Amino acid sequence: MSEMIEIIVDDKTYRAEEGSLLIDLLIREEIKVPYFCYHESLGADGNCRMCMVEIAGQKRPQIACDTLVKSGMEVNSKSTKIEKVHTDILELELINHPVDCPTCDQAGECSLQDLYMDYGLHDAKVTIVDKVKHDKKVDLGSNVMLDQERCVLCARCTRFTDKITHTHELGIIGRGDEAKVSTMPGRKLDNPYAMNVVDLCPVGALTSKDFRFHQRVWFLQSAESICHGCAKGCNIYIDHNKMKYQDDVIYRFRPRRNDAVNGFYICDEGRLSYKELETNRLESMLYDGVVVDEHEAIAQYKSLLTQYQGRVSVVIDANLYSEEIEAIVAYAERIGAKVFAPLECYNDPSFADDMLKSAQRAANYGAIVKMGLETNMPSDAGLIINFNHPTHFNAEAEIHFSTHKQESNALLLPMAAFSENSGSLINEVGLEQWCEKAVEKNSPAPTVLSWLEKVEG
Amino acid sequence: MSFCFNDANVAKIEALKKRYPSAQALSLPCLWMVQYQEGYISLDAIDVIAEVTDTPAMEIYRVATFYTMFHLEPTTQKRVLVCKTLSCKLCGSDAVLEQLKKHDVLVEHVECLGSCGTAPVMQIDDVNYENLTPTKVDAIVEGLR
Amino acid sequence: MREVAIVSRKFAVENSHTLSVAQAHGAYKTLEKLHTLAPLEIIEIIKESGLRGKGGGGAPAGAKWALMPQESERPSFVVINCDESEPGTFKDRQIITKDPHLLIEGILITCYAVKAKHAYVYIRGEYAQYQDVLQGAVDEAYVAGILGEVDVTLHRGAGAYICGEKSALLESLEGKRGHPRLKPKQPEPEWYFGNPTLVNNVETIASVPFIMEHGAAAYRAYGTEKSPGTLLFAMSGHVEKPGVYEAEFGVSMMDYINHYGGGMKNGKKLKAVIPGGASTGVMTAAEADNVQLDYESLRSMGLSLGTGGMIVMDEDTCMVSVLKNLLEFYHEESCGQCTPCREGTGWVDKLVGKILDKRGSSEDIDKLLEVAETMNGKTICVFAPAVSAVIVSFLSRFRDEFEAAL
Ligand SMILES: Cc1cc2nc3c(=O)[nH]c(=O)nc-3n(C[C@H](O)[C@H](O)[C@H](O)COP(=O)(O)O)c2cc1C
Ligand code: SF4
Ligand code: SF4
Ligand code: FES
Ligand code: FES
Repeated sequence: MSEMIEIIVDDKTYRAEEGSLLIDLLIREEIKVPYFCYHESLGADGNCRMCMVEIAGQKRPQIACDTLVKSGMEVNSKSTKIEKVHTDILELELINHPVDCPTCDQAGECSLQDLYMDYGLHDAKVTIVDKVKHDKKVDLGSNVMLDQERCVLCARCTRFTDKITHTHELGIIGRGDEAKVSTMPGRKLDNPYAMNVVDLCPVGALTSKDFRFHQRVWFLQSAESICHGCAKGCNIYIDHNKMKYQDDVIYRFRPRRNDAVNGFYICDEGRLSYKELETNRLESMLYDGVVVDEHEAIAQYKSLLTQYQGRVSVVIDANLYSEEIEAIVAYAERIGAKVFAPLECYNDPSFADDMLKSAQRAANYGAIVKMGLETNMPSDAGLIINFNHPTHFNAEAEIHFSTHKQESNALLLPMAAFSENSGSLINEVGLEQWCEKAVEKNSPAPTVLSWLEKVEG
Repeated sequence: MSFCFNDANVAKIEALKKRYPSAQALSLPCLWMVQYQEGYISLDAIDVIAEVTDTPAMEIYRVATFYTMFHLEPTTQKRVLVCKTLSCKLCGSDAVLEQLKKHDVLVEHVECLGSCGTAPVMQIDDVNYENLTPTKVDAIVEGLR
Repeated sequence: MREVAIVSRKFAVENSHTLSVAQAHGAYKTLEKLHTLAPLEIIEIIKESGLRGKGGGGAPAGAKWALMPQESERPSFVVINCDESEPGTFKDRQIITKDPHLLIEGILITCYAVKAKHAYVYIRGEYAQYQDVLQGAVDEAYVAGILGEVDVTLHRGAGAYICGEKSALLESLEGKRGHPRLKPKQPEPEWYFGNPTLVNNVETIASVPFIMEHGAAAYRAYGTEKSPGTLLFAMSGHVEKPGVYEAEFGVSMMDYINHYGGGMKNGKKLKAVIPGGASTGVMTAAEADNVQLDYESLRSMGLSLGTGGMIVMDEDTCMVSVLKNLLEFYHEESCGQCTPCREGTGWVDKLVGKILDKRGSSEDIDKLLEVAETMNGKTICVFAPAVSAVIVSFLSRFRDEFEAAL
């Protein structure tokens, strides 16, 4: 590690590592400087020329993304002179841009829109009528749509496929103001992380087909959570919203930066896994395929428990929160049941890669291992009480606490999904992480904890 | 239709590989070879170049679209490059362009060809024709047949 | 005017591109002397000669050579810039066709001085027929064993003005798009695949054998104190005898045009001169009357000497259409990386187009200057600032013509 030194930005002193990038300091300290092309995970490219600052002793403004911090450096990011530079470059950025924010999906999440508001360019003095025309609807593949007219050619998306996934599907082709982002003719954007380019794109040029025009972003609420696609524990935002007279629903998962786990990204499969939380959910209590009320369900539950006294096994899904697992284990002890958390079924080497995706496809894998629960399959059980484990077990009788519908004549009891509850998870390398509750359904399914209260009450 | 370098080009590529620190440097030479061999650069050929140069095909494609002398579409017409930059313009390139309209050739307006002292100029099959006049243009284009 | 032929010495000799003729006229003579000197001694001589880069920038060559490591684990390279795409410039072409062995001799001296074993000559794609001549000379030199341990490889470009910019050239030579690189913070060599590399213009290197043969002082005997030696100045446009004629720095522009160019075509009056390639700005006839051809004189007028390729325009020339023509060039040739350049070149082209079509207003002129200011000093390479300076030079000298067109 290099020496920590002091530099002055806008008359305030900051500490930074000698030789680190000035723009990193500005971002970290939330000193607002406009930028498009720089991204912490992609490095500096220096093409947008927006991140200009004044540096004492330098004749011309310098780009912060290509400036190394030096002891005693004096930076000015706010002078009228530098603001004019920002405005002027922004104005150029806009001359071939459609400025169609009202119909743009990115509105509210667009650096360009933020900036031209900040810099008061809404009645832009852009006099050019014959803008360079490009394709507005290019289906790149992997759910990603490209509007070439909105693109500011920052090359974040192309650098992503070059430097992060090494799949090289995207590139800037052509030259000058005819340059545009494209795939090779007839080929598609096709890699397991493709949709990250939508988050990377600083403007509305890349949008997700999955999310396009479903919801204006400023209506969305975000909860901090962890993806349940595998044991990696990628940090996500759950973006959801409850519209008037409707239920609270999830519109998308987005990666949430965590340098210790997933950096800036998540895989597409994890990203799209939110859909499972909104489809095929078990909504009512069923016994023998028939809807029963809570009173009946609990009576049935208790009678099964009495009938199989001494031959009860409890099975736990490795996606439940640690707090839930602990409560279930304690409960099992009270009723004299054996506890099983079979892990075998989560193992999927075909899913794994050397980026994020783990072969262990259970979010709380680490907790099961840490608690030292029995991971073999239950055998010789009279009654199995299954807490959402995906495997079908052979037993004389079954009770399922389940988030999703299933073909079964057993007693089926709907339970809250992870997005409807909060709790902690331990990932495959033993890191403990917290998930906020995101969604408040109009008629929420009970959580594991409230079910336990009910059946013991 | 798939693309293959002919034997002469294969030998050339092998020789060139020894002349550069990295195979990627061969992308422009290879693009030229393809264009001379086939008349244009097909996507198949780009895939072959990608292999030869150990470079992603997309990178070769980006390169091919950057340089104006590479053609990604075939044409049956003769390509005539006419300089339209200042010295040629001052010395009558407009008349040359006008005259060429009367012929069945594919005219490409290009920037300064480095023949400003002998302007106006056009280039056909890598050869410059200088100090042009409309009559000269006719004679040269007729002579192509 | 004093006649001088340092680089153009063999231009008039029949078949001077062949090895035998070139050798009969003294080619490769300096190579014998070469090994009696240490590399650093040669760099010292080049420094003393005051030789300046002839690719347009005029950077001192010796200082650049001195940046090359004498000890290095990585191989060093020499790259010769024969992209020659600056409108109005057609001098390097004369060297590679009329005296290619002079260039090769220069390359060998340079490689010895900077300890490089391989030199590339990057030649613009449109020069295929001239490249063949140079290749023929290189082949002959190989066969004759003249190259010794050095390899010389010709590399053809494919139509991109920006590849003349040295870092873009190296990107292109690496097989990539010709995007100029971010500039280093301290003086350092260029890098070719991460190896230290020297980039010089054809004519710069072709001037080296003379200096080796006759010494630094002989070179300094020509030109001015700060712009020593000679340049293959050139003329095109409205002159009687356009062409390339070597002259020493510091000669008067009008003397040059009248002496070598035979004066104005059809006896017309001079209106304006672009002094050294399209990117050097424009001057009025009155200014041309009083200017000397050296870096400092042009700089003091807010213009540059560039490559010395003068474009001469007579009284009938419409300056609005001249600027439009140049802006079309820049619009076409911007590499498109930097926002101000990519978007700016298109915008200024369209604005001047509007004025030329008589659809312009005085606001368009203001806007033109405003955009020019945004393009100045904020980009990766000096392409955009050059466009900016061109616009400013036209408007500061011929504004009335633009206003008349509104
Ligand atoms: C836009 C642009 C175009 C250039 N084109 C050429 C060129 O065609 N030939 C050349 O020798 N130098 C050209 N240069 C200058 C080179 O970057 C570089 O300075 C030169 O090759 C160094 O050689 P020298 O010092 O011997 O002149 C260009 C520079 C810029 C910014
Ligand atoms: S599509 Fe978006 S990310 Fe890609 S270059 Fe354009 S603006 Fe940048
Ligand atoms: S200034 Fe223009 S030519 Fe130079 S790097 Fe930027 S976009 Fe390319
Ligand atoms: S962020 Fe610095 S130039 Fe784009
Ligand atoms: S302007 Fe036409 S060749 Fe230079």
